[in-house]
Amino acid sequence: MKLFLKKFCRQKYIFLLVVPGVVWFAVFKFFPLWYISKAFTDYGTTANPSFTGLDNFRRLVLSPNFLRAFKNTMILSFYNIVIYFPLPILLALSMNELGKKMKKVVQFTVYIPYFFSWVVVGGIFTLMLSPSDGIVNQILQVFGKEPVYFMADSRYFRGVLVGSQVWKEVGYGTVIYIAAISTVDTQLYEAAAVDGAGYIARMWHITLPCIRSTVATVLLLTVSRVLQMFEQIFVMMNDSVKNVADVLKTYSYFEGMQRGDIGYATAIGLFTSAVSLILIISCNIFSKKVLKEDIL
Amino acid sequence: MKLRESRSRKVFKAVNMIFILTVCAMIAVPLWMVVITSLSPDKLAAEKGFVLIPEAIDFSSYIRVFKSHGYMRAFLNSLGITVTATAFSMALTTTMAYALSQERLMFRSFLMNAVLITMFLDGGIIPLYMVVRDMKMIDSYGALIFPVAVGTYNLILMRNYFRTLPESLIESARLDGCSELKTLIRIVLPISVPILAAVTLFYAVGHWNRYFEVVMFINKGEKYTLQVLLRQLIFQGESEVTTQVAVNNFKMAVMVVAMLPVLVLYPFIQKYFISGIMLGSVKG
Repeated sequence: MKLFLKKFCRQKYIFLLVVPGVVWFAVFKFFPLWYISKAFTDYGTTANPSFTGLDNFRRLVLSPNFLRAFKNTMILSFYNIVIYFPLPILLALSMNELGKKMKKVVQFTVYIPYFFSWVVVGGIFTLMLSPSDGIVNQILQVFGKEPVYFMADSRYFRGVLVGSQVWKEVGYGTVIYIAAISTVDTQLYEAAAVDGAGYIARMWHITLPCIRSTVATVLLLTVSRVLQMFEQIFVMMNDSVKNVADVLKTYSYFEGMQRGDIGYATAIGLFTSAVSLILIISCNIFSKKVLKEDIL
Repeated sequence: MKLRESRSRKVFKAVNMIFILTVCAMIAVPLWMVVITSLSPDKLAAEKGFVLIPEAIDFSSYIRVFKSHGYMRAFLNSLGITVTATAFSMALTTTMAYALSQERLMFRSFLMNAVLITMFLDGGIIPLYMVVRDMKMIDSYGALIFPVAVGTYNLILMRNYFRTLPESLIESARLDGCSELKTLIRIVLPISVPILAAVTLFYAVGHWNRYFEVVMFINKGEKYTLQVLLRQLIFQGESEVTTQVAVNNFKMAVMVVAMLPVLVLYPFIQKYFISGIMLGSVKG
């Protein structure tokens, strides 16, 4: 009994430690969920908001701007997964063949842009791609080409988005994979070398299978983030490329914050979360089947 | 180990090297150009747009940035918010992560699941804005500190680290009569320096780089951070230094100031960042 009381007393104090964090989560993570109910009202557009059922969702599917945002989100997500996702794996495998010192120098370099804000990264791209004095257009001019206004040309803007995403975050992914590769048992490589396996064969048959679970985790993280992409586009988009770059979250932001249509904007947010959840679950099914890894 | 240095091996090595050097150049060259252009005199920057090889070093654009009332205030805003917000984030994250790492905590698995759920269940932008608005935090620095205080990933990273600490150590401290808070501060934190450094730096970089929340929660120009002013300067051509045509060297100087803390700390912190990622990926 005495022991129990003692335990309870201690319990009380450790509980006090967790309270501030719990309050924070309640206020800033769970309380906002209640506002999702505004998706079923005409909140923001009238003085006396009333329950409107699925009206906002009906407006959604009928709105060309929403369909455009949905299409853009899907296209950009697809590019991100197909182009951005494999690059860190490739870079990590290739860095793994370097000497220790060289590897450190390369890692040091490629990891830097990850710590810059999207404003800085977007700014660097804007200045480099500037039609009047950017280095890229200067090079194009040397080859006798007309200068291209990449940041305002809807033919190129998606490329700029994917390119800047790769530029900023390829190093981050690489560091994760290098960490995973460093845990692979080197005896496997020695055995394979004795059996006469070439370097590429070793990468394919030993390294890749051994980092399978990391690949699956990063894939899941990438998939869970693609629909939530926002800050990059919010920083870099302008009106002349809105038709190719307006995504679900930017659309929701502009509808809610600038036009004040809170109910409708919340409905967009809810829709985005639902699609995101479906994607995450399908991705998990995919990794279970193909990569034999269950992440969730 | 080296059985044979065959020709195919040499070709492979060369191709590999070219690939890596290309990647490095694509990252390093723009950064180099930004720094060098910011250090070039007006005439050179206006003529060339970008400077690849330094011809003359000139700090005038930096002097202009630091003499400008607007940029200086934004810089100090960023600095103040980063320091305060990081301290607050760490206090909240450390206590919660420690409590969640201890088996004796009541409702531990329930709380842990609630935390994990927030990684997937997201109200979105508008609901968070409404909460902050209802708390009367719009246009206050608090809006840039409290709603963004805890990163769930950082919390889990830290909790996982605390779980690897020997239980006997914590147990004996408590038997010696240390209170929970004292145990955390005196015993646990001193042996958790790597994870504390990593998470502190994650938070500091996040708070320093914050842009969207500032635009959403702050409408008053005098409370803007450096990132907001940099965005206005580069994307909208709006400059706080109105008498001066914003030529590239000035834009680059503001940009370098906006990456300054990261650039200065990066050489020292990258190993902690890497160890942070490793700690997370091994036990994730």
